[in-house]
Amino acid sequence: MKRRNFLKTTTLAAAFGTMFAATGQAQSTDPVRIGYSMALTGIFSQAAPSQVNAYELWADQVNADGGLEIAGGARRPVEFVAYDDQSNPGNAVRIYEKLITQDKVDLLAAPWGTPMHLAIAPVLQRYKMPMVGNTAASVKLRELEPGYIWFPTSAIPDAMGRELALFMKAEGVNSAAVLANELPYSQEVRSYLVPALEEQGIEVKVDQSYPPDTKDMTSVLVDVKTKAPDAVIALSYPADSFLFAGQAKELGIDARFIMSLVGPTFDSYRKAFGPSVNGVVTAGHWSASQAEWPRAKPFFDAYVEKYGEEPDALDSALSYMSLEILQQAVATAGLDPEKLREAISSGTFETINGAVSFDGVQNATTPTSWLQIQDGSLEIVWPDSIKTSDFAPKSGW
Amino acid sequence: MDILFSGQLLFAALVSGSLYALVALGLNLVYGTLRLLNIAHGELVMIGAYTAFWMLTLFAVPPVLSIPVAALVCAALGWLLYVGLFRRLLKRPELAARIEANSLILFYGISVILQNATALFFTSSARGYSYLGEVVTMGDVSMTGNRLLSLGVAVTLTIGMLLFLRFHIFGWSLSAVIERREAARVVGVNVDQVQVITICVGFAIAGMAGVLVSMTEQITPFMGFPFTITAFVVIIVGGLGNIPSGILAGFALGLIETYGVALTSAGYRSILIYGLFVAVLLIRPEGLFAKAVKS
Repeated sequence: MKRRNFLKTTTLAAAFGTMFAATGQAQSTDPVRIGYSMALTGIFSQAAPSQVNAYELWADQVNADGGLEIAGGARRPVEFVAYDDQSNPGNAVRIYEKLITQDKVDLLAAPWGTPMHLAIAPVLQRYKMPMVGNTAASVKLRELEPGYIWFPTSAIPDAMGRELALFMKAEGVNSAAVLANELPYSQEVRSYLVPALEEQGIEVKVDQSYPPDTKDMTSVLVDVKTKAPDAVIALSYPADSFLFAGQAKELGIDARFIMSLVGPTFDSYRKAFGPSVNGVVTAGHWSASQAEWPRAKPFFDAYVEKYGEEPDALDSALSYMSLEILQQAVATAGLDPEKLREAISSGTFETINGAVSFDGVQNATTPTSWLQIQDGSLEIVWPDSIKTSDFAPKSGW
Repeated sequence: MDILFSGQLLFAALVSGSLYALVALGLNLVYGTLRLLNIAHGELVMIGAYTAFWMLTLFAVPPVLSIPVAALVCAALGWLLYVGLFRRLLKRPELAARIEANSLILFYGISVILQNATALFFTSSARGYSYLGEVVTMGDVSMTGNRLLSLGVAVTLTIGMLLFLRFHIFGWSLSAVIERREAARVVGVNVDQVQVITICVGFAIAGMAGVLVSMTEQITPFMGFPFTITAFVVIIVGGLGNIPSGILAGFALGLIETYGVALTSAGYRSILIYGLFVAVLLIRPEGLFAKAVKS
């Protein structure tokens, strides 16, 4: 119910624009206002709940804890000022300008997705407002001017291609089939993965791309099955991750290394396929079972308790991390944008994903990693430095 | 090339084809009878999928039993739209004359409302459930139970509908309204009644298809649009308003997609489907099977 009210508020705010206009001087008990735009409707909206849920969980926890600690020890409650960007980067730009110039929010949180992050980066630069990004992944992020935006993700396509090839080699994979969605992220990973596989001496037996609206993969998978590679790498998006799992199972694809790019971290994916998808490898660098990250399991448990489903190991974890970083930076630097920028750029932060510090716009600490579904849970299986479990070859569906 | 003769590809083509035929059948009925361009058709598929998901999650009702429930939900929506909106529009001759263009805009609005209302009430989180996921093997063909069920239900519904149109008196009235609307009225067909029943049946078919889709795909508020597009391709390739050839075109599309990809590569899927679509529009705008079936 609470969530529904929030969405209603958000929609109304978007419709009436000035509803949240700043009023008067901030008192010490006035809430700290954190603005963001989100793809609540439109083509990317499927991804929004995993991010908004993490934001709201964080705010609940901060408020229950007496509020956000501002440098000097004062605590103030937090509240969000959120608008729907309708999955349109142009809207996101206008919304962030409005959040900064009209709503005069104290802090910013990130929108969903690479295109939105890339679009608003110049706005942050222009108004000198820092924002910790989260759900974006592309080599293009590195081309952004460092200063007011940071990315906690370590799932950047070039490193992913390199690490995946190393990982496969280490697991004795000699041949692979690469199936890639034609969407940008999949293609970016593919463009680094295929050369990396060749470099590791892994033969690429099938290299096919398919359109995002594909509704049947039987023809492609029959070809894969005939060529019997050791590994099948599906650079898939959620919709075709479902398709791939269902049809690979139907055809009995028996490669020992099966990877599906975006989707297996979703609670719904594991609910739809149950034990069949045990052994599927996927992109991600967070697992609740990493004991060296003491914040990981409590986050997981609190999320499950509040929402009745598991957090997405990519988007929910990254979103929560971005606010943890902001929270700790505010505790040392306060709300002044320049001091905050300095604190984020130079600090080291304790997050659910372990310690994080930045080099330019990038996370300089968290290694690029791979997850595997084991008994329905997501375990880090690569690299050795942070793994929570050993890779187990996929045996049947 | 051996794989071209394997039953596996044929099975895949029939599963897709039967689903395309079923989804398009609902759209074709509504277009044929009411001249409404229902571009919210895919949203009905989405509603059917959510019906199955919630029936299973909340009441532990197996999806196969949700098929009639989804049919009822979507039929009720069709009835509401007809009684609340289209009956009035179709009655006034000056509006009825422009109903095709107007309905396109109206249904666009309805589609946006349905998508976002679903996102608001159920959140946009992807949903999924596990149902009949076991693999059944017959000869050299392996089939997951849910896809086999989908094929069975889609074929049964499609054939049932064809028989109904062919042999039931209401089916005759419906065919009459599709082919000669005014003449049908003159010979005593209750056009209003035919219209309301058709919109309910057309919507119900999409809802039932949605249940089948939900057994194998992820469920999201925005899953419907590709079905709208495919259904339009099918009915235009088959011939607008021509029910039997629409069904043939659905299966044809499934075959072309599966075998076309097997012969070329997965990247050609869209080129093959839309290539066929454009070719039909250029060469046989009345529909690929129109003549063959009518004569």
